[in-house]
Amino acid sequence: MVNLNTIKNGWTKGTALTLTLALGLTLTACGSNSNSTAKEASASTNNSVPSTQVADQKLVLYSAGPEGLANKIIEGFEAQTGIKVEMFQGTTGKILARMEAEKSNPVVDVVILASLPSAQGLKSDGLTLPYPDAKNADKLNPEWSDSEGNYFSTSASALGIAYNTKLVSTPPTSWEDLTKPEYKGQINIPDPTLSGSALDFITGYLSDKGESGWSLFEEFSKNDVAVAGANQEALDPVITGAKSMVAAAVDYMTYKAKAKGEPVDIVYPKEGTVISPRPAAIMKSTQHEENAKAFIDYLLSDEAQKLVSDAALLPGRTDIKAENRANLDEIPLLKADWSWMNEHGTEVTDKFTKLFK
Amino acid sequence: MRNSSSLRHIRVWSIVLALLVLTIMIVVPLIEIFIQSVYRDGELQLAAPFRTLADAELFKVLLGSIWLGICVIAGTTVLALPLAWVMVNTRLARWRWLDIVFLIPFMTPPYIGSMGWILFMQKNGYLEQLVPGLGSITPAFFTFGGMVMIMSLHLFPFLYLLLRGALERIGGSLEEAGAVLGAPFMYRFRRIIAPLLLSAYGMGAMLIFVKTIAEFGTPVTFGKRIGYEVMTSEIHKYISSWPIDFGKATSLASVLLTACLLIWYAQSVLSRRFTYSLVGGKGIRRSSLHSQGRWTWIYVIFVALLLLLSIGVPYFSIIAASTMKLRGVGLAWNNFTLDYYKELLTWGSTSMRALMNSVLLSLAASTIAVILGTWFAIVIGRSRTRIERTTDLFSLLPNTVPGIVMVVGLILLWNSPWMPIPLYNTYGMVILTYVILFLPYTVQYVKSAYGQIDPSLFQAGQVFGGKPQYVFRRVLLPLIVPGMLAGWMMTFTIASRELVGSLLILPPSVQTSATYIFAQFEQGQVSLGMAMAVVSVGLTTVMLVIIESLGSKRKWNA
Repeated sequence: MVNLNTIKNGWTKGTALTLTLALGLTLTACGSNSNSTAKEASASTNNSVPSTQVADQKLVLYSAGPEGLANKIIEGFEAQTGIKVEMFQGTTGKILARMEAEKSNPVVDVVILASLPSAQGLKSDGLTLPYPDAKNADKLNPEWSDSEGNYFSTSASALGIAYNTKLVSTPPTSWEDLTKPEYKGQINIPDPTLSGSALDFITGYLSDKGESGWSLFEEFSKNDVAVAGANQEALDPVITGAKSMVAAAVDYMTYKAKAKGEPVDIVYPKEGTVISPRPAAIMKSTQHEENAKAFIDYLLSDEAQKLVSDAALLPGRTDIKAENRANLDEIPLLKADWSWMNEHGTEVTDKFTKLFK
Repeated sequence: MRNSSSLRHIRVWSIVLALLVLTIMIVVPLIEIFIQSVYRDGELQLAAPFRTLADAELFKVLLGSIWLGICVIAGTTVLALPLAWVMVNTRLARWRWLDIVFLIPFMTPPYIGSMGWILFMQKNGYLEQLVPGLGSITPAFFTFGGMVMIMSLHLFPFLYLLLRGALERIGGSLEEAGAVLGAPFMYRFRRIIAPLLLSAYGMGAMLIFVKTIAEFGTPVTFGKRIGYEVMTSEIHKYISSWPIDFGKATSLASVLLTACLLIWYAQSVLSRRFTYSLVGGKGIRRSSLHSQGRWTWIYVIFVALLLLLSIGVPYFSIIAASTMKLRGVGLAWNNFTLDYYKELLTWGSTSMRALMNSVLLSLAASTIAVILGTWFAIVIGRSRTRIERTTDLFSLLPNTVPGIVMVVGLILLWNSPWMPIPLYNTYGMVILTYVILFLPYTVQYVKSAYGQIDPSLFQAGQVFGGKPQYVFRRVLLPLIVPGMLAGWMMTFTIASRELVGSLLILPPSVQTSATYIFAQFEQGQVSLGMAMAVVSVGLTTVMLVIIESLGSKRKWNA
C-alpha cells in the first residue's frame, strides 16, 4: 500500500531545487551590480581631481533638510569634481537612526544634519574626522561651527511663528501671545523628538530663561497646543487652514510656501528666538576621505553659499548675505547656550513630552 | 518499495532544508534583535526587557495596542463577513470585477489613506468645504472610533478574500442538503456554514489582529493626532529619533512578538480542531438558495456604501489634493491643475525612476516569495508533526513581528562585519527584505488551499498509475494555483507600496514610489506625493485587472 507521503515527496524535491537555484541567482546578481557606479564615475573624471582618487570616485552623503537644495549642491559638486555623490535624504532623526543601524559597517562619508547638538554629540562620541584646513572655514560664523574643524555649519534657519494669513489678521509679536485663549487649540509645535530645530528652540529658550522658562510651555500645554510631527507636518495644517499657527516654525519652509502663493507668513517674536545651524561633518569611518574634504570645501565655496541663500536659508558664511528673507542681523536672538543645550537635550525632551501627553 | 523509501528521504531532507532557509532568513535576524535587547552598553543584562516593561506608561501602550487590535477585528468582521456572503451567494457574485475594486483599499498605503481621511474631516477640510453644515460633526471623527474605522476600512479586503475563498469551497451542496432536510437559514448558518468557516475566520482574524498591532502608517498619521499611542509608534520613536535606543525598541518588540505568538498558538489549536476536507472529486456547485431578486437592492446598497467609505472618501481627498494649485485655497475650479502629474511622469525624472524601481523590485520579490512560500506551505502540509509546526511558525513570523523590527534585525545581520555576502546596500537586500516581509501571504494562501484538498484525490491519481510528478502536475498544482496567484498578487501589491523597510534599507540615491511619497510629504510637496499615490495605486490596479482577466480566460478554456 502506497501512502500519501510518498506522493508528496516527489514534487517537493523539484521545488527545493528550483528554490535553491533562484536564491543563488539573486545573490550573484546583486553582488555584481555594486561595482558599476565606480566605473561610471571614473569615466567622467576631469582634471581638477588628484589622480590617486580615480579608482573610487564616489561619496556617500546623508543629508537632512530641503531636498531641492541638496540636489543642486550635488549637481554643482559633481560638475566641478567629477565625483559621484550617492545621497540618502531624511530628517535628522532618521539619519542618526540609519547611522546607528550601520554602526558596525558604516558607509556614510559626510552627514549634513539640521541640529547643532547632534553634531556636537557625534564629535564627543569620537565619530567625526577633523578637517581644520577647510577652505573658507575662517569666514564661518564661529558660534555655529567647531574650532577644531569637526563640523561646519554651512547654513542655518531661524525659528519663528508661522501663521495662516487668512485666519490670523493681527499676527502675534511675542511667544507669550500664543497662550491667549483666542488661540486655544489653534496652534501646532513640531515634535522635539523628530525635529532637531524644535528641540533647539525649546532648549535655547530654557537656557536663556532658566527653570522659569518652563512656565511658557506649561501655558502652551494648557492652551491645547498640539505636538505635531516634524517641521513640515506641523506647518501643513496651517497652510490648509486646519490650524492657525506653528510655534517654532522653520522659517525657510514658510518662505518657500509663501513664495508659491500659499496664505502663510512668519514673524520673529520680539523677545528673541533661536537660530538652528545645519552642521556638515566628515565621519571618521569614511572610505573616501579626499572626496569628503573636497565636498566640505565645496559647501563653503561662494557657489554653494549662493545656492543656500537662494533656498531661503541663512548662509553659514558671515560675508554672504541672504536675499528675499530676513538676514541674521534683523532677527532678535535669545542668549542661547549651545553647550548647555547639548547637555540637557534628552532631559528637556522627556519633560516636554510628558507635559504634552 | 525501494522507490518509496527514497522518496521519504527526500521529504525529510526537503523539510530540513526548508527549516534551514527559514532560520537563516527570518530567525537569525530576530535573534540579533533579542541579543540587542539584552546587551545594554556592551554588557549582558537579562532583566533589561522586563525593566522596560515594568514602566507603567509602556504597559498602557501595550494595552492600547491590544484593544485596538480587538476593535479592528470586530470592525473588519462587520464589513467582510456580509460582503463575502453577498459575493458568493447572490447575483452580485457575477460581478467579478468587484473583487479587484475591493482590493483597492488594501492596496492604498495606510498612511496615505489616513491622510486622505484627515484632509477630508479636519477643520476647513474638504467635507466642510463641500457641506459647510457638517463642520460640527467632524470633531467626533478625531477619536479612537475614527481610528478603528480607518483601519477596518483598510484591512477588511484581507478578511473578505479569505472568507470568500472558504465560502466558495464549502459550495452549495452542503447547505442545500440542510435546506432539503428543512433547516431554516439561521440554523443552516449556525450548524453548517459557521463551523466550516471557523478555521478560515480564525486565521483571518488572527492576521487582522497582528496586522493591526504591527501597523505603523495609521498610528503615525492619525493616532498621533488624537494622542493614541501604540507599540509600533513607540518602537518607531526609539528607532528613529534621537537618542536612538535599540535596547528599548527591541524589548518592546519582543513583548509584541510574545503576544502574537500566543495568539498564533490559540489559532492553530482552533484550526486543527475545525479543519475539514471540502474539496472532493465532485466539483463545486453554487447554491441556488439565495438568489431571490427582491433582496438584491439591499445588497447593492450595502456594497455601494462600503465602496463609498473605503474608496470614495480617501480617493476624493487624494485626487483633490493632487490637483490643487494652492492647498491654502481649497476646493475651487480655478485652483485645478494637472501640472503635478506632468512633472511626475516626465521620463527620466526622479519620480519616474522611483516608480520603475518599485515595479521591478516588487516583481522580483513577489516571484521569489511565491516559489519559496509554495515550497514551505507544501512542506508544512497539515502541520501534524512538530517539525512541520515549527516550519509553519517560522514562515509566519514576519507577519507577527512589526515590519520595522524585522527590518532592523535584517540590517544588524546583513551589515555585520563578519557577513561574507555583500548584500547590504544593494537592490538584492531590498528584494530579500520584501520576500521575508511578505512570505506569509503565499504560505497562508497556499496552505489554506492545500489544507482543504481531500487526500483521496491523490490516492485516486495514484491508483490510476500516476507517477508522483504527474500527480503533482495534474492534481495538486491546478488546485493550489489560485492560492499561489493570490499570494503573488498580494505580495506584488504590498511590496510595491512598502514604506517602513524601504526607508531604512534602500541604498542611498535609490527611491521607490513609497519613499518618494514620504519624502514629498517631508518636503512640503503634498500635492506631488498624492499624485504619485494615485499613479502607483492605479498602476497596480491595472496589473491586477490584467492578471484577473487572464485567470478567468483560463477558467473558460478548462
